[in-house]
Amino acid sequence: MLESVRVSISEEIHSAEARRQALLLAQHLGFGRTDAYYLATAVTELATNLFRHAGGGEIQLRTLTRQNAVGIEVIAHDTGPGIANVEQALREGFSTSGGLGCGLPGVRRLMDELEICSEMGRGTRIRACKWAAIIQTVERQC
Amino acid sequence: MTEAVDFNVARWLEAQQEAVLDAWMSDIVSRWKKNYLHVVDTEHLHLQSRQLLEEIRKLFVENPNEFWEPTPDSKIVVLIRSLSTQRAKQGFKPADSTFYVLSLKRVLWRRLLQDRIAENKVALATCLAMIENVIDRLTLLIYEVYVETRERLIAQQSLSLLELSTPVVRLWDRVLMVPLIGVMDTQRARQTTERLLEAIAKYEATVAILDVTGVPVLDTSVAGHIMKTIAAAQMLGARVVMTGISPDGAQTLVKLGVDFSVVTTRATLRAGVAESLLLVGKRIVAVKDAP
Ligand SMILES: Nc1ncnc2c1ncn2[C@@H]1O[C@H](COP(=O)(O)OP(=O)(O)OP(=O)(O)O)[C@@H](O)[C@H]1O
Ligand SMILES: [Mg+2]
Repeated sequence: MLESVRVSISEEIHSAEARRQALLLAQHLGFGRTDAYYLATAVTELATNLFRHAGGGEIQLRTLTRQNAVGIEVIAHDTGPGIANVEQALREGFSTSGGLGCGLPGVRRLMDELEICSEMGRGTRIRACKWAAIIQTVERQC
Repeated sequence: MTEAVDFNVARWLEAQQEAVLDAWMSDIVSRWKKNYLHVVDTEHLHLQSRQLLEEIRKLFVENPNEFWEPTPDSKIVVLIRSLSTQRAKQGFKPADSTFYVLSLKRVLWRRLLQDRIAENKVALATCLAMIENVIDRLTLLIYEVYVETRERLIAQQSLSLLELSTPVVRLWDRVLMVPLIGVMDTQRARQTTERLLEAIAKYEATVAILDVTGVPVLDTSVAGHIMKTIAAAQMLGARVVMTGISPDGAQTLVKLGVDFSVVTTRATLRAGVAESLLLVGKRIVAVKDAP
């Protein structure tokens, strides 16, 4: 059961399409309502960041299977300016654009896994996973 | 030999006009029969097509040796634009719309190959190339117009949607209600704020209910927009009561760390209405002796 969806983000409204696709996939995999809502919100956050901070990018959604668990992997990829300080970007209330600065820290709490790779001037790749049955939170940085 | 090279496409077309038109129209009708003939007036189609054929003939007269380049205000471009705009609006698929001129090419080619001219390879090649050039240009033009028309349609629809989905309702003296429905992007958020502020000023409202039942997800950017709306309303002296946050929405907002503690929130619109009326010193009571 390997399904993959890509949504290209170049306008603000495209984040709604990414959200819809995430919800469809979550429903298809039998995610609970709250988990599906968390996932949808996280995808919206990542997509909005692509548009707002990187001038666009792509959201990729993939089904994950692990022993008895199913999950969804979200990859937000862009070739924008990169994040200068990932730790700072993950801090509550940090925003370079007058936003609330709640997006990335929120995604960390809404999802089960979060991994951010960013290189200045080259772009950012954020990978986040949500498992249908919650497994321990794993965090990594590279 | 030389006589054949001097073969004049324009003159040939003039002589063939009726036969070409007949073959072309029957080709079109058989393809469009199933999906479009109820929207196409065949008589009008004939008239249009005859006109187009005539314009193509004139092109060959005006550009006997060189390849034609379309200019925006030439008669043929205007003609093609108008009929493909119309077809895009009528719901023609782009392939069926371009079929119109591609079919003409097929008919012209077939007739040329049957003609005496086919014996002279150079003359034939020249004629085919000239016809091909014109039809190719027209095909591209039809595509372009198709995309333009659809894009305009989409832009119009999203504008109407924008107007549709940001009503500000006057609930009672000094109490307004704004039901937010659908995706709240920056443009819609700005418009909602503007309308709300106008209404607050107009009705001297002191309370505004912001109902978010219809917002698909409450993410940080929606939350940010709502905060700004609330701050602006407060500056005009109106309190905002937010309603319709679902249990999932509430949990998500907590996970996001969005601080709505400064905002008066009520779970349901009903509770929000009661609260708002209270704020202006009113209350809904049961009528005595009602059945
Ligand atoms: N894809 C990205 N490319 C470059 N910088 C990014 C990207 N995503 C996030 N950032 C940086 O990280 C910061 C924090 O992001 P976060 O989503 O937490 O807050 P925000 O987008 O500024 O506001 P909001 O609360 O509305 O999401 C951003 O202000 C921006 O500087
Ligand atoms: Mg953000």
